[in-house]
Amino acid sequence: MNFLSDIGHVLLTADLWRATLEAAALLLLPALGGVISERSGVVNIAMEGMMLTGAFFAVVADLAWHNPWLAALVGIVAGGLMALIHAVVSIRFRADQIVSGIAINIFAAGLTLFLVQRIFGLQDVGHVGQSELLPYINIPVLDQIPFLGRVLFQQNVVVYAALILLVVVQVMLFRTRLGLRIRSVGEHPQAADTAGINVFAIRYGAVITSGLLSGLAGAFLAIGISNTFVPNMTDGRGYIALAAMIFGKWTPIGAFVACLIFGLGQAIYDANSIIHVSQYLLSMLPYILTLVVLAGVVGRSIPPAADGIPYAPENE
Amino acid sequence: MAASTATIGRRPGPRWASAARRVAGGFAVPLGSVVFAFLVGGLIVAVTGGNPFAAYQGLLCGGLGIACSTTTGENPALQISTTIVFFTPLLMTGIAVALPFRAGLFNIGAEGQLLAGSVACTIIGIKFSNLPAPILLPMVLLGGTLAGAVWAGVPGVLKATIGAHEVVTTIMLNYIAQWLVRFLIVGGPLQAANGFSASSPIGAGAYLPLFLPNDNSLIIFGLPAGVYRVHTGLLIGLAALVIFAILLWRTSLGYEIRAVGQSPRAARYGGINVARTIIVTMLIAGAFSGLAGAIQIAGVDHNLTDKYFNDTTGFDAIAVALLGLGSAVGILFASILFGALHAGGSVMQADAGISSSLVQILQALILFSIAANFLRVLRLPVFGQRPSAPAPTAPAAALMTEAAKAPPVET
Repeated sequence: MNFLSDIGHVLLTADLWRATLEAAALLLLPALGGVISERSGVVNIAMEGMMLTGAFFAVVADLAWHNPWLAALVGIVAGGLMALIHAVVSIRFRADQIVSGIAINIFAAGLTLFLVQRIFGLQDVGHVGQSELLPYINIPVLDQIPFLGRVLFQQNVVVYAALILLVVVQVMLFRTRLGLRIRSVGEHPQAADTAGINVFAIRYGAVITSGLLSGLAGAFLAIGISNTFVPNMTDGRGYIALAAMIFGKWTPIGAFVACLIFGLGQAIYDANSIIHVSQYLLSMLPYILTLVVLAGVVGRSIPPAADGIPYAPENE
Repeated sequence: MAASTATIGRRPGPRWASAARRVAGGFAVPLGSVVFAFLVGGLIVAVTGGNPFAAYQGLLCGGLGIACSTTTGENPALQISTTIVFFTPLLMTGIAVALPFRAGLFNIGAEGQLLAGSVACTIIGIKFSNLPAPILLPMVLLGGTLAGAVWAGVPGVLKATIGAHEVVTTIMLNYIAQWLVRFLIVGGPLQAANGFSASSPIGAGAYLPLFLPNDNSLIIFGLPAGVYRVHTGLLIGLAALVIFAILLWRTSLGYEIRAVGQSPRAARYGGINVARTIIVTMLIAGAFSGLAGAIQIAGVDHNLTDKYFNDTTGFDAIAVALLGLGSAVGILFASILFGALHAGGSVMQADAGISSSLVQILQALILFSIAANFLRVLRLPVFGQRPSAPAPTAPAAALMTEAAKAPPVET
């Protein structure tokens, strides 16, 4: 079967694995955000909308100020502000967190499209110049290693950042006092409250952090991988990140493994010119894999105990 | 019965007064949410340099055919007909979300189920295109219904047997359906020979009849009858609402669904097979959504096109079900609202120069408002005295029943 030999041929190229890591990093950022948010007990299906918002505002800022770093910061803050809405609605007003998440995603899609039209009219958003994109950086010496150098050390600056954040979040969640607090709030908020932990502060912080990370991913997508904003350009990546979070059983490392698998699918999709299978069927892969995982084939995937339940203190 | 507790008011007073209060309370939350959304939406338009009054005039004209500007020349009758075509599928996808809500399930998958129905309808309609209407039309509608049921049955079974969260599984199935549609009509087995991203048309026998003859010599409200696209799917949608209401309130299955939604544990003690109820609920919900998808093909488009890549009928259904508080009458009004918003969006864009994506913003604001119950926090008497957290077992369903009944019952 020539499909298999084609896959085999592609799998041997360093470029495919470089692209895999890049696609995985793009998914990893919102997935990490999702892990933090849900570990604190707030269901977050709004990564899609927060990414899209980050992407839009990063492009607008880059076009205005011609500085990718400042633009990335604007994208991060924009994602964080979207998350703040989700936080206020679902923590302060104790709304259903799924409804709020859906509303964020619809709001982000509508708002970015609306603003594109108000700011740019019927024309294109415009393209960011090559020198104003988030740069690809070759790490000296290491990038000369055969194969691995190409895969690991000739990446976008955001890919390095994502890998560092992966370690930071993993250590923070499972090796620090803050991580213990976040997890206890997500498992048993009453007990955490009794122990003197500020449940609301932890949850606000966790949700906003998820927005900052998703906003960075949006900026990476728009002014790193691409060089412009097109409506709905995240195209379900926030939901794939959600799938990665579940696939990885709500742990950063697990989510990263899932992101690598999904990223490989994306990379094969992009290299489709030499693979004779419909790219649309390949696009289903992350979702089908997640269904399989949820079906318990690879062991149960169980969310934090208080995930999705608004916290109402007794004395209120 | 669990449901009858909602009608036993504790407050003394004449019967009509408590009934009136209940009706007012039932309408207050959704109406308040809509008002809130339009206020904030208007603010967003104003802040970005647009004229909110012109925008809303465009929406009103495009959606309901009233307040049309004399210079732009919209035909009110045509606008109303467009709104009806837009809201017809929402009646059924709204049920597909509202019914599982009653069982404490959150079906985000109405979109995927609708697409499954559209795909099945298209395949059957093309494969058997020579059959006469009395055979083919029921076949395509039934095929779509079954496909939708299967698409929703998977999350139902996964939920009932191993507890996989239906929100996540239905999201996954939405994307699988969307990519399936792209696969089928872009280079796939359903793509028509002309090379466009669309399937061949279904057989003429699979067309849902229009209300008005497709006859351009007949002039109705100043336009040829053929331009009005209102089709008999509307009658199916209205019948679906009646069936939904009867199913929910007049059958033992409906009682079981509501009991499971109120408390799965209590339902289990009461002898209800919870797993079976969950699966059946999802199958029925998916059937309604699949029927909507079949009706869109059989009544409106007649082939599967790239328009379905960006279809949002199944997502709008979430807002429809929440705004309609999960009741048949509520779904009807909420569907009309969102049908009118979608129809009005394009007129607003053309006449007032305000992007039709404002409609999405309004929809999101309505969702925020109804979920967060902002109005309740204002502590106006009509909205109930104190904010209270939804029950942990089924937040969205609890929210809905809580909002629907006023005064709340103490437990």
